[in-house]
Amino acid sequence: MYDLLFSGIANIVQIKYLLPLFLGTFIGVLGGALPGVTIAMTIIVVLPFTFSLDPLQGLAAMTGVYVGGSAGGLITACLLGIPGTPSAIATTFDGFPMVRNGEPGRAVWLGIWASFFGGLLGGVFLIAATGPLAAIALEFGPWEFFALFVFALSMVAGLTGGSITKGLLSGALGLVVTVMGSDPVMGAPRLTLGVGFLEGGINFLPVLIGVFAFSQLMSDIEKMGDAQQGQAAGPIPKLVVSHLKIIGEIIARPFLLLWTSFIGVLIGVLPAIGGSAASMLAYDQAKKFSRHPERFGTGAPEGIIASESSNNANVGGSLVTIMAFGIPGDIVTAVMLGAMTIHGIQSGPLFISQQSTLAYGIFAAYIVSHFLMVIIMALGARYMLRLTTVPKSVLIPVVLVLSVVGAYALNNTMANVYVLLVFGVLGYLLVKFGFPLAPLILGVILGDQIEINLIRSIMTDNNLWLFLTRPISGGLIVMSVASVVFALWQHRRHQKRNRHSTDGDADF
Amino acid sequence: MSKLLAAIIAFGLFPAAGFAATYPDRPVKVVVPWAAGGDTDNIFRPFAPALQKHLGQTVVIANVGGASGTKGAKEAKDAPPDGYTLYVPHEYIHSTYYTGVADVQYSDFEPICMIASTPSVLTASPKTPWKDAKDLIADAKARPGQISVGATLASTSHFFPALIEKAAGIKFKYVSYEGLAPRMNAILGGHTDLTDSNLTQKGKVEAGQLKFLAIATEKRHPEMPSVPTLKELGINVVYDVNRGLMAPKGTPAAVLARLESSCALAAKEPAFAEAMKLQGTAVRYLDRKGYAAWLKQTDDENRAISKDLGLLKR
Repeated sequence: MYDLLFSGIANIVQIKYLLPLFLGTFIGVLGGALPGVTIAMTIIVVLPFTFSLDPLQGLAAMTGVYVGGSAGGLITACLLGIPGTPSAIATTFDGFPMVRNGEPGRAVWLGIWASFFGGLLGGVFLIAATGPLAAIALEFGPWEFFALFVFALSMVAGLTGGSITKGLLSGALGLVVTVMGSDPVMGAPRLTLGVGFLEGGINFLPVLIGVFAFSQLMSDIEKMGDAQQGQAAGPIPKLVVSHLKIIGEIIARPFLLLWTSFIGVLIGVLPAIGGSAASMLAYDQAKKFSRHPERFGTGAPEGIIASESSNNANVGGSLVTIMAFGIPGDIVTAVMLGAMTIHGIQSGPLFISQQSTLAYGIFAAYIVSHFLMVIIMALGARYMLRLTTVPKSVLIPVVLVLSVVGAYALNNTMANVYVLLVFGVLGYLLVKFGFPLAPLILGVILGDQIEINLIRSIMTDNNLWLFLTRPISGGLIVMSVASVVFALWQHRRHQKRNRHSTDGDADF
Repeated sequence: MSKLLAAIIAFGLFPAAGFAATYPDRPVKVVVPWAAGGDTDNIFRPFAPALQKHLGQTVVIANVGGASGTKGAKEAKDAPPDGYTLYVPHEYIHSTYYTGVADVQYSDFEPICMIASTPSVLTASPKTPWKDAKDLIADAKARPGQISVGATLASTSHFFPALIEKAAGIKFKYVSYEGLAPRMNAILGGHTDLTDSNLTQKGKVEAGQLKFLAIATEKRHPEMPSVPTLKELGINVVYDVNRGLMAPKGTPAAVLARLESSCALAAKEPAFAEAMKLQGTAVRYLDRKGYAAWLKQTDDENRAISKDLGLLKR
């Protein structure tokens, strides 16, 4: 198996494959970093340019985009607090605070190296465990998917911030958003208020860009007045970093890295939901296992490592599913699969054994593109980090325009631009009134999947006990309950400690 | 990237530009009412470059999925009738109208041409005990309403098994799975028993992950001659999914004629035929007149089927 991989790598480093792979990775990093441009969009734009290439050249380029995009999102997530792509949402939670604490270099490079290690670990799983992992994925029926997404939703309890009530309300609002539009079975309109474009439901991406980008940019604008005097007082951003130290920071947490990468692979293998859920689930796990959960959200390195290692490992997982079953897990893999078809490749269970040169070529492309990604980032880091010193009056209009263009380009329709506007205003109001945004986004990501899988389960069998008696499903439900209880306990303990420290006996 | 931006500028800033005389002078958008990577998408992605070649303009595919394909249909219907927004339906446009899922119907569009026809195959999970369709029918008779079928409700994947139900005098249980990909995942894992699929799934059958019980063609298919037809099993059902190109009602005749002639040439491209073979699909070209007549007939048939199945809402 590994000799096939090595010959695959020897094959892919030839200039005729390395060049498309490099260009793909580069474009992926760019697309991932631009807020409003997702990996899916980037890959759709790149696809037509690969038609004239040979299959492995084309697929190498696409793999590069996928890997590069999954890493690129961290740049804007850390530096601007706006996820460049949905899979980088969780990176903003700690990446952005770390940058504001004056360590942009550390934040970005922690993300880059975590992506690198997470991606390579994902690659190990991809090659060694394709068979067994794929078999687990097949065991997931509607009951298991329902329980898995309920488990993911239980993270809301861990993401509420100061007030549990406000966090739950925000999560509920997200779920309501997913109810709007036609019902998923027979298309009966719900909460459409008679507005035509609402009948198709609300797209996730304009909600994400609206809520995160607008609220962030608006609060930046508010602060612009006092920035003139305030700038000198703030810490001088440290752009220079010691790579050894940062790699050390990651390697020193082997369990975290392994576990979050595994979560990434697992979510990737399951054909229902993409990198955004993987990174948030991994983030939540990191917080639960941490001895200092209260540090999360204030610039904890663990948060960045969890999010970025899992979303790159997720790429490896989803490649397994398209290669083993020909079933796409999300839009990105759907386009990859389409690309394979266009290049005349029938993916499916026999693909890896019948077309081993090509299959291992893709594995090799996946691994090599992680190295290319680090090189690209290293060359670009100097310029990227300058983003933090660009005046906000220049940056804000540019990011706003990109967000609107991105929302439009999603389906080439105006409706998404209106959704962007509405949720931009809503997100800003929520932030103003102290509501956390992460539960809202989580609700929007998970609502549809929870609903449709609940319906499917009951349509298949009206015995509700199956949710508890099927082992994987039952286990996940128990874990959901435990996860909520644990988060509440952590929250209470944190509040108690806070009360103690405000009593005046702070010992530092 | 620059291509994307060019397309955005062309669509966004100059919607009023472009006259029939100079058609097409900017990119043409084709609305695929399903997600990327689905059957419709896989058929039109190789068709787009062929059409582009003969139209002399960029052809962009816009995937507008959701609500059983009716979201894209609505968007295409409401687009300006200038030939810059086209739409690619299949039989679902008739079935979703008559079952009350959508209020868009085929007559809201001008037909341009039909390009492809994909025969349906009755497909079973490997975890089911049946060796062939005969076993299935016997089992279904013994356990009415127990055998589960994954389907996009009110669409072709629902109508095809429903026709079998009627012809064989049996009763299935339907579970909503919109689109082929989630249906495949459910059936590979044995979470549903049956589904409608097509010859694109051949690889999984050869690997023993799926069972083709019967194909809904008149004669056995040369790609998989071992699969019997429903007809030879005594079930008189012939069913295929046909895809073509349409434009919003009111598109000028000159524009339609230009599109029709480009479509005719594009459908003859050898590269397109090659791509369709991989899709388990036959190139089936019908011109404007032929497609219009076919649509009328199919619409009547779908109305009759909806009525037979007790799903008729109009």
